[in-house]
Amino acid sequence: MCGINGIVAYHSASSAPEEAELLATRDAMRARGPDGSGAWWSADRHCGLGHRRLSIIDLSERASQPMTSDDGRFVVVFNGEIYNYPQLRTELETDGARFRTTSDTEALLHLYARHGAEMVHRLRGMFAFAIWDQARRGLFLARDPYGIKPLYTANDGWTFRFASQVKALLAGGHISRDPEPAGIVGFHLFGSVPEPFTLYRDIRALPAGHTQWVDAAGPREPKPFSNLAEVLAKGATNPAPAAEIPERVRVGVLDSVRAHLLADVEVGIFLSAGVDSGALLGCMRDAGQRAIRAITLAFEEFRGTSEDEAPLAARTCEFYGAHHVVRRLSKQEFFEDLPAILEAMDQPSIDGVNTWFVSKVAKEAGLKVALSGLGGDELLGGYPSFLDLPRWRRQFGLFAAVPGFGLLARTLIGAVAPGFSHARPKVLGLLEHSSSWAGSYLLRRGLFLPHELPEIMDPDIAREGLRRLKPLRRLAASLMPDPSSDVARVCVLESAHYMRNQLLRDADWVGMAHSLEIRVPLVDFTLLRALAPAIPALTPGAGKAALAKAPTVPLPDEIVTRAKTGFNVPTGEWMNAAIGGGSDSVGDALEAKGLVSRRWSRAVLNGMASASAQPQVHAS
Amino acid sequence: MNPSPTMFAVVTDALGGHGGIAQYNRDFLRALADVGAVSSITILPRQAPDVFVMPERIRQTPARRGRIVYSIAALRRALFRPVDLVFCGHLFMAPLAALIARLKGAKLIVQAHGVEAWPRPSRLQRAALESADLVLCVSRYTRAAVLSWATIAPERVLVVSNTVEKAFTPGDGSTTRAVLGVENKRVLLTVGRMDSRQRYKGQDRVITAIPYIVAQGHDVEYLVVGEGGDRARLEALARDAGVSERVRFLGAIGLQSLIEIYRMADLFVMPSTGEGFGIAFLEAMASGTPALGLDVAGARDALADGELGTAVSEAEIPVTIARLLAQPKPDPGALAAAVQGRFGRETFAAGVRTALNRLIEGT
Repeated sequence: MCGINGIVAYHSASSAPEEAELLATRDAMRARGPDGSGAWWSADRHCGLGHRRLSIIDLSERASQPMTSDDGRFVVVFNGEIYNYPQLRTELETDGARFRTTSDTEALLHLYARHGAEMVHRLRGMFAFAIWDQARRGLFLARDPYGIKPLYTANDGWTFRFASQVKALLAGGHISRDPEPAGIVGFHLFGSVPEPFTLYRDIRALPAGHTQWVDAAGPREPKPFSNLAEVLAKGATNPAPAAEIPERVRVGVLDSVRAHLLADVEVGIFLSAGVDSGALLGCMRDAGQRAIRAITLAFEEFRGTSEDEAPLAARTCEFYGAHHVVRRLSKQEFFEDLPAILEAMDQPSIDGVNTWFVSKVAKEAGLKVALSGLGGDELLGGYPSFLDLPRWRRQFGLFAAVPGFGLLARTLIGAVAPGFSHARPKVLGLLEHSSSWAGSYLLRRGLFLPHELPEIMDPDIAREGLRRLKPLRRLAASLMPDPSSDVARVCVLESAHYMRNQLLRDADWVGMAHSLEIRVPLVDFTLLRALAPAIPALTPGAGKAALAKAPTVPLPDEIVTRAKTGFNVPTGEWMNAAIGGGSDSVGDALEAKGLVSRRWSRAVLNGMASASAQPQVHAS
Repeated sequence: MNPSPTMFAVVTDALGGHGGIAQYNRDFLRALADVGAVSSITILPRQAPDVFVMPERIRQTPARRGRIVYSIAALRRALFRPVDLVFCGHLFMAPLAALIARLKGAKLIVQAHGVEAWPRPSRLQRAALESADLVLCVSRYTRAAVLSWATIAPERVLVVSNTVEKAFTPGDGSTTRAVLGVENKRVLLTVGRMDSRQRYKGQDRVITAIPYIVAQGHDVEYLVVGEGGDRARLEALARDAGVSERVRFLGAIGLQSLIEIYRMADLFVMPSTGEGFGIAFLEAMASGTPALGLDVAGARDALADGELGTAVSEAEIPVTIARLLAQPKPDPGALAAAVQGRFGRETFAAGVRTALNRLIEGT
């Protein structure tokens, strides 16, 4: 992980950017890269690039950034890891390239010189980078297909700016904090701000799997180079039988884990008592890593109870011969860290708390890199949504498809039983939204539903935000082309929205805050391509069962069996306490959890707003 | 798209028109024709009161004032001729331009100038602008305002700043000073309409600053060029402030006189709150006279964030005028060259070409 930023004063009327701005943005990302920093300016000083370094591959000074090509034409700043760097280097050297470092960053320069924008198709990894082309006087930006690494841009019509973080761009002092209604509404709908929007109108994310070119006319519209739905749709044209699933998962996951171990520093792992991280640990062993430190977060409240993950994680460690680091989190520590969490949060999120603490422990243990099982549920059908969405569509879709039916039902029930409407808004939402995949997904992941927004925020902002965000259209667009099976559709929806905008973004800012690179072998485009033909054949539990058997020595049955029932974490209750407890009378635990999340989301937004005295987000 | 497209321009005024919008439309369309970016341009204006010379590759049809008459004429003219590009010179005309573009399968460019594009427009106008392939704004401020109400990819909204006529150059202003009888005075100048409804140009802010400036030891004379219904109020304001003898209203003047007046002034000051850009700032500085404005809206662009001129808050205007008058007038040649470098006609033409290339290539 590193922090990158840059300023291009592209317009003929614009002034050369100030050095102080470049450095202020760069150094607002100090935690992303504590090992070094650099800055580069073009001869006319109309392009400046900044970099903060967390050294992981080629720890020497010669691999510092911004890095310039031998001929001086290209200059790159890069955040991420290129896992197929060794193969790329071999290919490039065969083609005549001469390397002066052993860093994957240098490979980007050689690849761009040879293949231009098409280079992105050769990269396996997580990446966000920018390459300034002195000859064409333009800037090329790219972001990985899943959106693991962040990249935010701002364009005022004269000057283009980019950085790894929203708050870093603001720290430069030249970007408006005017609110973006679509970002605010998106946060209330989903619990995270859906890209490309942010809370600020002038700052946007370069969408995952896109490149962008900036020249004398400013930035062009981002151009897609990869698409999850397309990979799965293509996979469905050559379907693999269910019997092939275990072998495909075994080969694919082992290959991904092996690739993700590329580093010149120790690679550890976040270990829960679940299948995903346990299987990754087994695969690390199969990939040849001998000394492995596994970090487990446990909770004081659960010590000695069946909810305690630590004993089972310890069993997995013992099984695979890893060194186990267990850290027990108390409610007090949660409260102590809460201000720091809100401070580090780049964009509002209702999650990330558990990752915060496990990252903190990894840092305390001296790790710079840790693998995480994030993405297993999206890839292998582990969420309830894989069952719920198809079921809702079958059971309620026909009603919801009748124009006006859902609205009528909501209005009538709201008049007759307002308490029910208030406590179970999503039950009513079934009659309104379940006719489409997008609508069903909004119901599944939505914190609030669109019709509720005018009650909890400025109604004008709610209306304008919905108009700009177009949430249903946006969700539906991610399913183009049609992935062709229910499992694949849900896989795409969960991966392109919840995982991208929430889980991966949280992993980034949380890891960043602890100068820790979190790697996610189950979020890997090569793995997705390998599994795509088999994904339509996944039945409930089959994916995770196959993953448990991916290591040469499969995960013990006791772990697989226990993991199926799931574990609780007390952080939800702590959050509820942090915001003053809830008075809502709710029916069941699921609804209660939802209502806590709703209140928590508003507390987070207000907390972030008051922390910076900006922006005016108008949440009531 | 055809690499040498034909353009149909729907404008309020262009050739033979008055004011900043006509000026911009004229500059833009001429630049397009000059750089060979289009094979021909047909302009249909709502008004064209002045005589004009028709540039090469451009033809302008007779003006049609009435909205309905204009719309019918525009549709008739566009429907029976090849049109690859539709240029809409004013947001109010965007629905008509969008309709023509749609009917012809042509690409649409909408131009946003200033105050007309700052507040949220009607739904029809907004939808028309959102359908544009390219939106050009004269300043960063206008661009930000458009993006605050329009749902359109921000990459389609470009800034093509105003430019300045080549005729505005530095020169000796002593004769004009003698003619006006201000040889030994420090001369402040504002050029702008005195609109009785909008009242944003800021002449009143300068008038009320005069007692302070005089108290600082400057024997100042304030020249106000332009006409409009607000003149009587400004005259009364000068009387009330006891500075009538220091404020002179010159009304509308011809181009050559304007150039001479710009050259001889010590400071051009226009503390306007409503500039889409503020061409007058460029004209003054191209004539070698330093310029002062408010650090708001499009004036920031014309003053290049303080690098060409001076941009301050309203409260700082009196102090800043006094400070600038206390300094010797900067090298007029260097100031003019800096203005031409950023906003000169060559730079403008290159910007127009770049913008059109973006459209032709597809954003």
